[in-house]
Amino acid sequence: MKLDTSGLETTMPVIGFGSNSEMLDGFSSVPSFDLPRTTDFDGFQKKAVEMVKPAKGTTTLAFIFKEGVMVAADSRASMGGYISSQSVKKIIEINPYMLGTMAGGAADCQFWHRNLGIKCRLHELANKRRISVSGASKLLANMLYSYRGMGLSVGTMIAGWDETGPGLYYVDNEGGRLKGDRFSVGSGSPYAYGVLDSGYKFDMSVEEASELARRSIYHATFRDGASGGVASVYHVGPQGWKKLSGDDVGELHYHYYPVTPVTAEHVMEEAAE
Amino acid sequence: MQIFEYNGSAVVAMVGKNCFAIASDRRLGVQLQTIATDFQRISKIHDRVFIGLSGLATDVQTLYQRLVFRHKLYQLREERDMKPETFASLVSAILYEKRFGPYLCQPVIAGLGDDDKPFICTMDSIGAKELAKDFVVSGTASESLYGACEAMYKPDMEAEELFETISQALLSSVDRDCLSGWGGHVYIVTPTEIKERILKGRMD
Repeated sequence: MKLDTSGLETTMPVIGFGSNSEMLDGFSSVPSFDLPRTTDFDGFQKKAVEMVKPAKGTTTLAFIFKEGVMVAADSRASMGGYISSQSVKKIIEINPYMLGTMAGGAADCQFWHRNLGIKCRLHELANKRRISVSGASKLLANMLYSYRGMGLSVGTMIAGWDETGPGLYYVDNEGGRLKGDRFSVGSGSPYAYGVLDSGYKFDMSVEEASELARRSIYHATFRDGASGGVASVYHVGPQGWKKLSGDDVGELHYHYYPVTPVTAEHVMEEAAE
Repeated sequence: MQIFEYNGSAVVAMVGKNCFAIASDRRLGVQLQTIATDFQRISKIHDRVFIGLSGLATDVQTLYQRLVFRHKLYQLREERDMKPETFASLVSAILYEKRFGPYLCQPVIAGLGDDDKPFICTMDSIGAKELAKDFVVSGTASESLYGACEAMYKPDMEAEELFETISQALLSSVDRDCLSGWGGHVYIVTPTEIKERILKGRMD
């Protein structure tokens, strides 16, 4: 592995200007980071991977339909069995017409999505037109591929609307990138897929699609211990994204399955001595 | 994940004025997946002694059946019900018998003793008794439960206030635990009646 020492000159990650390598142009070179100074570099990397690994406890989903892309996620962050937060924003706004979902390490997802947002804006300024969803997801996938094996934990979906219409890509920390119509990522994804796949039709209205997305997240939070909190639903249309709803799943349960009061028999017992 | 966290559980017992309360969550899971939301963790041994078992679900059920058997034998021989202190010693002995291949559960025992004095105790999986005057907890949410009970508990509460306190402590603690919750089950026992209530909780 070639150590990039240009990072030693400034404290900010280098994004290409001033880089000495002729093979890289200004917009596709990788930010360089300080490497840890330990005696056991591989062991340290392994421990870092193990620390982040259990963290894909979440449910996120996205699907393309007639009116655009519907994106939904829960809001729970868990550390093993402990719930560290019930109010995490897992749908990240990359720019006004593109959304990314977060599954895996929170820090990793937040940083790389913001980094992607920067690259997309630079592309816009350099080319005088918006970047396509395909291009944006490719940028992210290439960045993650170069950090393969170093313990990043990112399972994200890039959803947006560009000149070719709605676009949805799945990108993960292994460097995989898949184009598709329906994805769900996280420990609650099998439960969400069950509801999503059985209720999906391409010709849905925005209301029907948002109800399907909300229901899928709700069912995943019911069955999966690592998902819960608030089910957020976003819609990406030709004008950009719009947040449709954010419902607490504790209340959603009693909305879908109201409790009918049942008179139970009162057990009155004389204490026997 | 650890074996004690395989099924997920939360049990708490509190002492009031001539009464006690014992409460548990209702989830049965297999690691992160929820299988059932109506699992019975608290069982009645007789009208004045209850036992709540947290930990591995299969051992919860087997240990409960064993204890009911031993109590029935006791009833036949002595022609009376066991005192809660005696019952706690019985549970401790049964658990220690399996010292090198233990039942993977942590019992919480609550009962009304002589003169209607409430008695609570908890044990680890090999029978170490821990008596308490105020509250005992066990399960995957035990750390949150300790915090909640410590904050909300007052001595000498009446039955209704005790019910409110133990319910709030249980629900707020399991809301911080991925592996327990999905409702609550509370028993309030006074010398004259046993009230069983199901709590409406967050189902996530």
